Amino acid sequence: MPEIVLKDLTKSYGDTKAADGLSLTVKDGEYICILGPTGAGKTTCLRMICGLTKQDSGEITFDGKPMDKVPISERRTTMLSQVYSLFPPMTVYENVMFSPSIKEWPEEESKQLVKSMIKMVHMDQKVQQYPHELSGGQQQRTALARALASDSKVLLLDEPLRALDARLRLELRKELKSMAKEMGLTSIHVTHDQDEALEMADRIAIIRQGRIVQIGTPMEVFQNPATPFVANFVGRSNIFVGKVGTSDETGTEVILPDGTKVRSRHTDLSEGEDAVVAVKIGSTRIEHIPVPTEEVPNPLMPEGYFEAVIERILYEGATITVEMSSSAIELVTCKLPNRKFDDFSVGDRVMVSWAPDKATLFRIPECGIVEELRLD
Amino acid sequence: MSLFKKINAISDNDKVRKAWFGLAVAVFVCLIIVPSIFVVTKLLTEWGVVSDTLGNSEIMSLIYGAVGNSFSIAFIVTIIDIIVGIPMAWIFVRKNFKGKKYLDTLMDMPLAFPTAVLGISVVIFWGVPADGVTIPGLGLVVSPYMMMIMLHIIFTYPYMVRSLSAILEQIEPNYETAAMTLGASRFTAVRTITLPLFRAGLVTGFILCFARSLSETGGTYIALTLMGDETTFFTGPTFIAFMKEMDPSVALGPMIVISVIMIVLALILLLLVKRIMIRIKLPVTKVWPSIGRKLSNGIAPKLKDIVSIGFLMLVVLLPAFYIFAYLTQPILNVDYGQLLSSTGMSFLVAGVAVVFDIIFGIPVALYIARHRHTKMGQLLDNLVNIPLIIPTTALGFSLALFWGSLGTGGIISVILVILGHTSFTYPLVVRNITGAVEEVDPSYEEVAMTLGAKPLQAFSKVLMPIIKSSIIAGAILAFTRSLGETGATIAITSDVNTVPVYITELISSGSYSEAAICSIILILICFVFMFAVRAVTHRGDKSA
Repeated sequence: MPEIVLKDLTKSYGDTKAADGLSLTVKDGEYICILGPTGAGKTTCLRMICGLTKQDSGEITFDGKPMDKVPISERRTTMLSQVYSLFPPMTVYENVMFSPSIKEWPEEESKQLVKSMIKMVHMDQKVQQYPHELSGGQQQRTALARALASDSKVLLLDEPLRALDARLRLELRKELKSMAKEMGLTSIHVTHDQDEALEMADRIAIIRQGRIVQIGTPMEVFQNPATPFVANFVGRSNIFVGKVGTSDETGTEVILPDGTKVRSRHTDLSEGEDAVVAVKIGSTRIEHIPVPTEEVPNPLMPEGYFEAVIERILYEGATITVEMSSSAIELVTCKLPNRKFDDFSVGDRVMVSWAPDKATLFRIPECGIVEELRLD
Repeated sequence: MSLFKKINAISDNDKVRKAWFGLAVAVFVCLIIVPSIFVVTKLLTEWGVVSDTLGNSEIMSLIYGAVGNSFSIAFIVTIIDIIVGIPMAWIFVRKNFKGKKYLDTLMDMPLAFPTAVLGISVVIFWGVPADGVTIPGLGLVVSPYMMMIMLHIIFTYPYMVRSLSAILEQIEPNYETAAMTLGASRFTAVRTITLPLFRAGLVTGFILCFARSLSETGGTYIALTLMGDETTFFTGPTFIAFMKEMDPSVALGPMIVISVIMIVLALILLLLVKRIMIRIKLPVTKVWPSIGRKLSNGIAPKLKDIVSIGFLMLVVLLPAFYIFAYLTQPILNVDYGQLLSSTGMSFLVAGVAVVFDIIFGIPVALYIARHRHTKMGQLLDNLVNIPLIIPTTALGFSLALFWGSLGTGGIISVILVILGHTSFTYPLVVRNITGAVEEVDPSYEEVAMTLGAKPLQAFSKVLMPIIKSSIIAGAILAFTRSLGETGATIAITSDVNTVPVYITELISSGSYSEAAICSIILILICFVFMFAVRAVTHRGDKSA
C-alpha cells in the first residue's frame, strides 16, 4: 500500500507531448481520479506508473523507492483496462487464478483466495464460463477479481466503466470503490466522465496537455476551480471576459465590454485588470421580467445583472437546461430543476443573476480564453 | 531451479530480450537471407565463366527465352488468379450455402499435393502425353506454354483466394450496406467502396502467386518431360535443373547468369509491386448506375458465381485429382523400400525445417507485428519476403555455392537441403504468425505483466494459446510446401532423395504408372498427416 510520487514526468510521441512535467502524489490507500479530456495524457500516466511505458525524463517512486529499474511484473501494480482483456482461452476461474498460478503460490491457499475473490465480485455462478459468454458487467467484475487476486498493492483503472451501459455504470461505481477500499489498495482511476470522478474520488486530479492543473477533493475542484478550464470542464460554466471594477466585502464587481456590471467573489486582482468570470450553469439563476399591464403598470422588476431572451429549453429528466442570448454575452446557459419546465417558454425575457460567491474570478490566461477552454 | 524458470527469470531483463531478438535476426540474416542471394557475388569472383556465358549467344538466347517464359507465365497466371479469385473470395466470405465447408477444404488440397504430382495429373488430363501413359485424357493438343499456364493456375489459385478472403473478412460489410442505403447498386458499391480497401490483399496475393509460379520446378519439369518438350522449352527453374545434369564446367556459367537474372528481377518486382499496386488508379470515382444495376440483379450475379465455382471445379480441382484415375489400373510392383526411405527423408527435411522456422521465426514475427510502424519493423517485413520471391531453384543453387566449402555427401547434404527448405518456408511461417499477432490486442500481454507475469510467461501463457492455431496453420503450410518442393532440392545436391525427386526420376526413366502410384501414396500420407495434426490440436482446444 505504497505512496506513489510522480515527479516531473515527460513523455513525447513525436510532436505530441503525452506528459509534460507531470507531477502527482497519491497517498497510501487513496482512491484518486485523474480527470481530463481525451488525449490529455491520462492513459500514458497510468502506463508509466506500471512500467508499460517508460518516461523520457522524471522519476516515479513508490514509498520513496525509485521504480526505474523495477520490471513491470515486480511493481505490483495491476491494470484494469477499459477492454478488460480477460484471456479468451481461459474460464473465469482460470483467469482469476492467473496470478496465483504464475507466482506459484501454495495450491490450497490459492484456491481459497481465488474462490473468495470470485465470490466477492458475485461471479460464483459463472466460474466455468469463458469470457465471450459473459456480459460486459460480468467481464468487468471478473477482471476486477483477477486484479484483486494478484497481490497487487496498486490498482490502475483505465476508464474501467466506459464500455458498460449507463445504469450498470452507476451501480458499479460504488462497488468498485468499496472493494478497492476494503482491500486497502492505492487506486488511480482515469476517466473523462466528470460525474464518475466527482462521485468516486477521494481526490480528483485534473489533467490537461500532460500536466496536472489542479488536485483537490471533488468539492474543492467543483467549487474552487483553479483555472477557467477546470471551471468549465467540471460542471459547465458560463464564462465572461471583462475588467475588474471596485471591490467591497460582498465581492468584486466586473465590468463586461458592453458596460454590464456583474459580481463575483472577492479577488486579489487589482482594479482595471482584464479578468475572466466563471459561474456554474447550475448556480446561474433566472427570473421572469414581468410585462407591464393596465392593472400593474409598474411591476416590481427583479434584481439581476442583465436581461436575456430564452432561445431553447432542453428537457433532461431531472433537470432542464435553458439557453438564452443577451447583449452582454452571446450565449448564457442555466440549469434548473425540472419542476421549472412549465414556468419558462422560448421567447420569454428573463433577468440573469447569481450569488457573487458562486462566481470565480481568474486572471486572463496567457494563451487566450478560447484556447484555454478548448477540450482537447 | 529448472531451466524454464531460469529463462523465465532473466526474461525480465531488457538486455536479455534484446540479445534473444538479435540472435533470431542474426540467424535469419546469416542462414536465410545471405545464402539465398549469395550467388550474386559470384558475378565478381567467377567473372571468367560468366563473361564466357554472356558472350555465347546461343546459351544467352536460351536463358532469355527461359526467363521470358517464367515471368510471362507467372504474370498471366497471376492475372487470371486475380480475375477469378475475387468472386471466389466473395463467395467464401460473404455467402453461406450447403457444402461450403467441403468446398473450402477442397480448395486447399492442391496445396498439399507435391507439384510433381500435379505436373503428371495436369498433362494427362488436358494433353497428349508421351507414349507409355495408359490413362485417357481430354487429348487437347496444347502448346507447352499453355500447359504451363493451366498447371501453374492450380497451385497459385488457392494462395490468391486465401489472401483475398483474409482481407475481405476484415472489411466490414457495413461499408457496402451503407453505400447501398445511399442508393448505390451492389455492383457499384463493391467496385467503388470495397475493392479499393482490398489493395493490401491484392499485393499479398500477387506476390505469393507470382513467386510461386516463378519458382516452381518439379511440376513444370515433369509436365514438360511427359510432353516430350523438356529439352526444347525452358522456364528459368527448369533451365537450372537441366543444367545441373550437365558437366559442372559447362553448367556453372549459365547457372550463375540465370540465377542472378531471376533473383534480381524478382527483387525489383517485389519492390515495384507494392508501389504500383498502392498507386495504381482504379476506376472507382466514376459510376455508371444503369450498368451497375443491371449487373447487380437478375442473371448476372448468379452467372458470376456459377462461372467462379465452375472454374474452380474444372480448371483447378478436376485436373489436380485426375491422377487418382490411376487407381483403376492394375496395381504395379512399386519399389516400396525406395518410396518409404524417400518419404522418410522428405518428412525429416520438412519437419526439421518447420521446427527451425518456428523457433527462430517467432521472435521476428512478434517484432514485425508490434513494431510495424518503425523503420526496423518495415525493413524486416520486406526482408522476410525475399526468400519467398526468389525462385527456389536459384535459391538452392545459391545455397549450394555458399555452403559448398563444407563439402557434400552424406549428412552435410541433408543439412544443406534442410537449410534450403528452411529458407523458402520461413516466410510462410513468419507471415502467418505476424498476421495472427497483429489481430491480438497487445493489452492481453500488458495486463498479464501487470498481474505479475514475466515477459516469457506473458507470451507462453497468454499470447501463445491465442495464436496457437495460426502457428499450426503456418507450420502445416510450410510443411506441405517443403514436402512438395523439387527444384531447391535438386539444385542443392543430387544425393538427397526426397519423394518429389524420386517421382521426377521415375518419370524421367519412363515409369509413369509407378510414379503415379507413388504420388497417390504420397498424397494420402500428406492428408493423413494433416488430419492427424488438426485432430490433435482440436482436442487440445477442448481441454483448454
